[in-house]
Amino acid sequence: MNRPLRLAACLLLLGSTPLHAAASSTLEQANQRFAAGEYADAVTAYKQLLTSEGPRASVLYNLGNSYQRLGQYGPAILAYERARLLTPRDPDLLANLALARQAAAAFEETRRNPRIDALLYHFSRHEWSWLVVGSALLLGGLAGLCGVLGLPRRGWRNGALTAAALASLALMTGATALYLRGDEAALGIVLSATAGVRLSPFDKAEVLGSPGAGRSVRLGATSGAFHYVEVPGTSLRGWMADTEVTAIFP
Amino acid sequence: MVSQFPRSNFFRKVADWRRAGCPIHRSPRALPGSNQARAPITSLTHQMLACLWFIAAGIFTSSCLAPHAGAATVDATLDRDSVPAGNGALLSLTITGNRVGQIQLPEVENLIIQGRDQSRQIQMNAGQTIVSLTCTYAVGSNTPGTYQIPPIAVSIDGQQLTTKPLTLKVLDAAAAQAPTPSGAPPAAGQAPDTSGKRFGFLTVELLIKDRNYLYVGEIAPVGIRAWLPEDSRAQLRSGIQPEGKAFTLHNVSERPQQGTEIKDGKRYTVITWYGGISATKAGKYPASLSLDATVAVRDTSAPKPRRRNGGPFDDPLFDSMMDRFNTPMIQEDVTLKSDDEEIEVRSLPTAGRPDGFTGAVGDFKFESADIPASWKTGEPQQISASLSGSGNFALLGAPTIVPPDAWKIYPGKSDLTPRDAAAFSASKRFQFSAVARKGGKQDVTLSFSFFDPAAAAYKTLTTSPKPVTVSGADLVDVQTNTPTVAPEPAKPKDPLVGQHSALTPVASLAPLVARPEFTRLLALGATLCVLGQALAWLRRRRTDPARLAQAKMEMATREALQAAANCADRRDVAGFFEAARRAIQLRLGALWNQPAPAITLAEISARIPAESPVARFFHEADLSAYGRHAADDRLPHWRSLLAEALASLTPSAG
Repeated sequence: MNRPLRLAACLLLLGSTPLHAAASSTLEQANQRFAAGEYADAVTAYKQLLTSEGPRASVLYNLGNSYQRLGQYGPAILAYERARLLTPRDPDLLANLALARQAAAAFEETRRNPRIDALLYHFSRHEWSWLVVGSALLLGGLAGLCGVLGLPRRGWRNGALTAAALASLALMTGATALYLRGDEAALGIVLSATAGVRLSPFDKAEVLGSPGAGRSVRLGATSGAFHYVEVPGTSLRGWMADTEVTAIFP
Repeated sequence: MVSQFPRSNFFRKVADWRRAGCPIHRSPRALPGSNQARAPITSLTHQMLACLWFIAAGIFTSSCLAPHAGAATVDATLDRDSVPAGNGALLSLTITGNRVGQIQLPEVENLIIQGRDQSRQIQMNAGQTIVSLTCTYAVGSNTPGTYQIPPIAVSIDGQQLTTKPLTLKVLDAAAAQAPTPSGAPPAAGQAPDTSGKRFGFLTVELLIKDRNYLYVGEIAPVGIRAWLPEDSRAQLRSGIQPEGKAFTLHNVSERPQQGTEIKDGKRYTVITWYGGISATKAGKYPASLSLDATVAVRDTSAPKPRRRNGGPFDDPLFDSMMDRFNTPMIQEDVTLKSDDEEIEVRSLPTAGRPDGFTGAVGDFKFESADIPASWKTGEPQQISASLSGSGNFALLGAPTIVPPDAWKIYPGKSDLTPRDAAAFSASKRFQFSAVARKGGKQDVTLSFSFFDPAAAAYKTLTTSPKPVTVSGADLVDVQTNTPTVAPEPAKPKDPLVGQHSALTPVASLAPLVARPEFTRLLALGATLCVLGQALAWLRRRRTDPARLAQAKMEMATREALQAAANCADRRDVAGFFEAARRAIQLRLGALWNQPAPAITLAEISARIPAESPVARFFHEADLSAYGRHAADDRLPHWRSLLAEALASLTPSAG
């Protein structure tokens, strides 16, 4: 029974090792291009790696750096924001993201108490989700254990009650964090400094204003090749071409 | 001298009318050179105005009759300080009080005051009625100059109150504004702008008290104002950008304030941002800022439609209003710029610069300092300190520890907590590790230096000495014997953190909460909870003592009844009654919560009515046992009585 499983694991390992080596080699080559100042080539290489392998925090971070060197702050901030979904506490990433925002004058509005924001953004939404799910499963497991075993000993019962209280607290905290960060699912990044918010979803519609490159906008309905966007903290809202704004969650 | 308005016959007529005898306005003194015998007003419009004044007098009278308990006050304000010649400012006279009498508008040479409107407000507050009257007047002149409007006297409640004197500057019409159409009454902002700022402009103002310069590295608060012509429509297409490289803008407020202001006799909509400006080099540089916007303004140069003379609306005031509505709008994408006003940037003095100065400019203070009291040489511990104040927190470095030779400091982290929107005022908390190099007791302080621009001097702040005890031997400095190498000049640090070479695992960008697995896992947790609760309930039910006792009683009752039935089948009357009595006693014991054998006939007789089936059955049982021989032919009757008795003892039967 275990023999086929072991065989499958070995085959998977043998298959993935060359893939990993190839990806490492591509990353190294892209990094060399970056170090040589060939930022546009580095961008191409990083994007190729992302297309072939899938999202990796290090590749997204490096891609953001390359864009930043090219002065394309919108795509740089987009790449950093995507990397932040995977590694929310990477200090290098946060430093370069702040640098890009500063260079693009794309400052984000602080809506809450900075300490609450620091706690909320210490973990990614993925991590908060796992906290919620883990707490729910722990609560379910504890309930099942109590049901099956009955926890006859006083010490077990106290331990189970403490664990249930902690799990409930974690569940509520995680759910609150997910609720407060719920609007992030519809966030997009403006790619170009000249990107305009239009009155109607047509190329020749009146331009109401330009949020600026790297600015986070809330994405709404789509109409043809246009997204309805709202610029947080301003009254600017309208339609923006999908070549000028990209959702952080692709 | 009578003022001459070659283009404004309306002014002249109103002035004549006032001299001829306004029901309210009585000049305190005769006009120099005025002619009292001038022709009376014939214009229908002026008659209407006269009627309005009478109505106003009526309102005054009625306000006198209204109950009023507030203090009498009078106040006069001008809505602007200066107007171009031929235009007017709005004078508002606000009167609060009972029985408002005569308003005496003063006469000023070359200055014409024209009544425009009046309104009355009545406030009911805690049973008191407060009546206030606001009269508005257009004030203007065709002759440039500075006009002092003497105090306006108003008779309220029998007493004579006066306003404060006012000053109105009438600017040269040629410089300030092009001539208005013939006969137009004073109104702001109607002339075409010939100054090149037709679509608006920016101004930058340093908001530092008592200074018109800043220091290198200092983030000085500035107010950036976009002046847009009144009645214009504007859409901002960019943020505010510095034109040159001398200055850097910081933390420009995202939500500007909006208001209306008068500048050079023209009314503007003013949008104000607040932010910070800093420079890295000393000198005098133009603080040029720009802002891209799409602005639509009224094209006052467009030809006006010809009007017919005569008729009820042949009035310059009406014409002006219609002109305003008929003037077309022109729209352009413009870049609003500020004047190249130079701001002086002074370098920080080199004299008296402290060693630990990191470039912080502002006003700071220690909020707290936390130094552990017990140390061991070579073992790092954390020191924290909080600094607050206003200034360039970016260059505010961690405080140094004194005495410095006894400690080794490692770089730590800092957290900035802004206290205002532009982060001029903030607090910064530093946390860093230190290693004690020398053992023994010593007094330790934290110290930091900054440049105070208000005092134009460096300042060094030190915390109060904290006695600490360091155990262990002194550390030997391994670097003391190494040959000293001349330090290389520091390269400018690249702020961009470098590339990552390690390949992180592939992961989905979509968080778990956005995937279907999230709901499934939550459902699994909920199911486990429900299952666990169900199992716990079953477990509790299985071990419930009351339920077990009930089941035991039911079992014993069933056995007794079975025994009774067997006895009845064998015609064993005594055995039947014994088994039946046991069954009833068991049921009664469960109901009364007492041992079944302890229940006697006496107790049953006391607690159960005699006509009840239980009492009757026991009575029959006793008769059968002690009274006479049992008659087995009555067994069916006793069996039915037993069934009736047991039915009456079921819980529902009570």
